[in-house]
Amino acid sequence: MQIQLDHLLPVPLKDKILQRKSGIWNENIQFNPGSFVKIKAPSGTGKTTLVHYLYHIRYDYTGSVLIDGKPWSGYNRNETASLRQQKISVIFQDLRLFEQLTALENIELKRVMNSQPYCTVEKVQEMAARLNVTHVLNQSSKTLSYGERQRIAIIRALVQPFEWLFMDEPFSHLDEDNTSRAAALIAEECKTRNAGFILTDLDHDQHFDYDVLYQL
Amino acid sequence: MQSFFALLRKIIRTGVGKGRFFMASIGLGIAMVLILIALQANTDFNQLLYSDKNQNETADFLVINKKVTNSMMGQPEKSVFSPTDIENVRKQPFVQAVGLITSSQFKVVAQAPGELHFATDMFFEAVPDSFIDVKEDDWKWNPGDRTIPIILPNDFLNLYNFGFSLSQNLPQISQETVKALPLQVVISNNLVSETYTGHIVGFSDRISSFLVPATFMNWANEKYAGTTTAATSRIVIKTADPSNPALVKFLDDNGYTANQDKLKFSKTRVIVQTIVSVIGFFGLILLLFALLVFSMFIQLVIASCRKEIQLLVTLGTAPRQLQRYLLKQFVPLYFIIGILSLVLVTILQYFAAGLLAKHDMVVNPLPGIGTIIGTVLILVLVYIVNVSTVRRYILQDQ
Repeated sequence: MQIQLDHLLPVPLKDKILQRKSGIWNENIQFNPGSFVKIKAPSGTGKTTLVHYLYHIRYDYTGSVLIDGKPWSGYNRNETASLRQQKISVIFQDLRLFEQLTALENIELKRVMNSQPYCTVEKVQEMAARLNVTHVLNQSSKTLSYGERQRIAIIRALVQPFEWLFMDEPFSHLDEDNTSRAAALIAEECKTRNAGFILTDLDHDQHFDYDVLYQL
Repeated sequence: MQSFFALLRKIIRTGVGKGRFFMASIGLGIAMVLILIALQANTDFNQLLYSDKNQNETADFLVINKKVTNSMMGQPEKSVFSPTDIENVRKQPFVQAVGLITSSQFKVVAQAPGELHFATDMFFEAVPDSFIDVKEDDWKWNPGDRTIPIILPNDFLNLYNFGFSLSQNLPQISQETVKALPLQVVISNNLVSETYTGHIVGFSDRISSFLVPATFMNWANEKYAGTTTAATSRIVIKTADPSNPALVKFLDDNGYTANQDKLKFSKTRVIVQTIVSVIGFFGLILLLFALLVFSMFIQLVIASCRKEIQLLVTLGTAPRQLQRYLLKQFVPLYFIIGILSLVLVTILQYFAAGLLAKHDMVVNPLPGIGTIIGTVLILVLVYIVNVSTVRRYILQDQ
């Protein structure tokens, strides 16, 4: 699946962005299927905004985001939902778990949303074991630490089929050991699906073998 | 493992305002019962009116005459039906047939034979044979016959047996005896007088008059009065439904009167219809309010879970999945209410049929097809209102 940015420019940041050089904003960019993309950006340059534009939950921009050559606005609600179940997954910076559900239920919700789940229950347990969160699976997500929640959000993003995975500072609250475990798992899951990802972060890192690097 | 809907149940709480939902459900139930009762009562009433089992034969014929008022007294021509009047009656949709009652234009004196010492001035009338409820082979007259077949009103014999004979110390007589009695009938005009034998062939409940065959009447009118076209002051009509309010209105509008007893049914019918309509009307109003509360309840549920619904959609839940989930929470209850209402009305109908049967009125002990269609229509309406509310608010929320 092709993702293309055509002179994308956030309306609230417009003046600020036009004063400096950006590798993404107001450019014509194409992300090729299966490529690992890193977008490095200092705070306040619109990192999260970009992820929200890509995932189509914010619309205050000029230019367009094209999914398979068609702008997001050309997809209706049910088509959008189908893309989010089958082709696009996301890890939000603010994680967005349901507090009224347990950690496992949060993952299950995403898994069984599709009437034919992509992952088995055992696979979920295996991923939880790899990220050291098996012991918190049955706890209410409200009671988890931010790092634990982050790992649950990562697993949730990986239980569905996808061609693109969007990640917004996915390891911000993980220690080095857990970060490398999570990065290895993500890379593995992307490879099995032949999927690509777009990761935004503040600094340089060596978590993945990136194909492309952008400066926001 | 939990299903998607089981997880949704933990996220989208439908417990908000449960009391209101409960009240609305009761409201829907009462509304449905009222509407179904109204429909069923209507079916029953129609069955009582039109079904063959309930048809009593006298209900089909009405004898109509113009009202005699004080201002008309002494002017008999004013109580006569003109050809236009008769044509107008014939044209009415509820009139199946019209028969003219011809009255005799000559004097008649009847005398009972033997010991009875009974003699009276009287008159004859004639109607077309198809309007007579007495089927007798003897009911015919050919020119030259000296015996005239006569039909008496049943009421007349009763008046004699239970009024006159008791007070005068005369014997009571049975219908058979009367039929066997040869009656002397003297017919005269100012010039001639002739004696015939009257033979009572039957008793009529339908037409309160002394009837002779039309053939005799025409012959005798011509012979004794020199006319065949006597003015008509009474007519008999055949109608499918003497309780038809349109018929009663027609009679009133034209200043006609008929056997009041038969028309009384019409008043009952108007009253029953009014009561049924009022019940149905309240049922409809209640249904509207129940629908209003239901859609407000759905609105409340969606509004109270706005953030959760938004996140679900963000994670990729399709609006149609949410819609199906929400409908699944409410719709089964509506069907249960619908079926319970129908069962209740069936039970009521069963008892009503039992009660009516004791009074020789036959209605079907099961609810009519109209009632069942009514149930289905109400449920469809409730479903449509729910679907459109859910769709509107879920879409609005994104």
